[in-house]
Amino acid sequence: MLQEAVVTEPSGRPGTRARAETEASPSTPRFRIFIVDTGWDSPGHKVLQENFGLIRELQREDPIYVLGREKSIEYLRHHEERIGHDPIIAVHDLAAMDDTGTADFHGFRLRLGLLRTHQQALLALQNFARFLRLHRQSTDLEGEIRRGLRREGLAGAIEIVLGHEAREIGG
Amino acid sequence: MPERWSDYLTIFMSALAVGYMVYEIDRRQRKLREIFDVLDAEDAAVTARLEDMVASGELQPYTGATLA
Repeated sequence: MLQEAVVTEPSGRPGTRARAETEASPSTPRFRIFIVDTGWDSPGHKVLQENFGLIRELQREDPIYVLGREKSIEYLRHHEERIGHDPIIAVHDLAAMDDTGTADFHGFRLRLGLLRTHQQALLALQNFARFLRLHRQSTDLEGEIRRGLRREGLAGAIEIVLGHEAREIGG
Repeated sequence: MPERWSDYLTIFMSALAVGYMVYEIDRRQRKLREIFDVLDAEDAAVTARLEDMVASGELQPYTGATLA
């Protein structure tokens, strides 16, 4: 069966290190990670619950803020177009925010709630965690993400044309 | 100019194939961006609100090993 390919590893293949690195210590917080989760009975919610401890350990240099159910509901009441997209993991890039505040690029986000199966959500979360580790010292995070998004779109289309069904995690 | 109808058909089919590729790339990039994308000026208000919550102490770093 040919499936729709959506790959949430927007930049950098596994094992690819960010080319440019900052002078900051590897243990200095680079990101603030926010989790918005109203608790839908969804694959994304379950995967996040099951793997949160691992994510915490992998990202122990960066603080994680969990909004909790009440605050998450309040958040989505003000952003109703995002209802059903949660769990949402928003990552604020402190380096970018130091330079431009929030007026320009200042981070990235993953909408786990849009993934339909447990396997898709798990793969997305794993790719996301890998991305955070690989790029936490990057000096051109925005460029790497945007290049990765272009490349993944092209790769997915080529796979369809070639009749491959690998790399599927979205529906 | 093509001289045979089969030449026209080949050109038409080639154009269809290219169009499909362009459409598919665009669709997949849009789908991917729904799931994963950058935060930029469009998200400024949300980001600022979250940062305010941190600055005011309303949000504290989560120290639990599991999500409640």
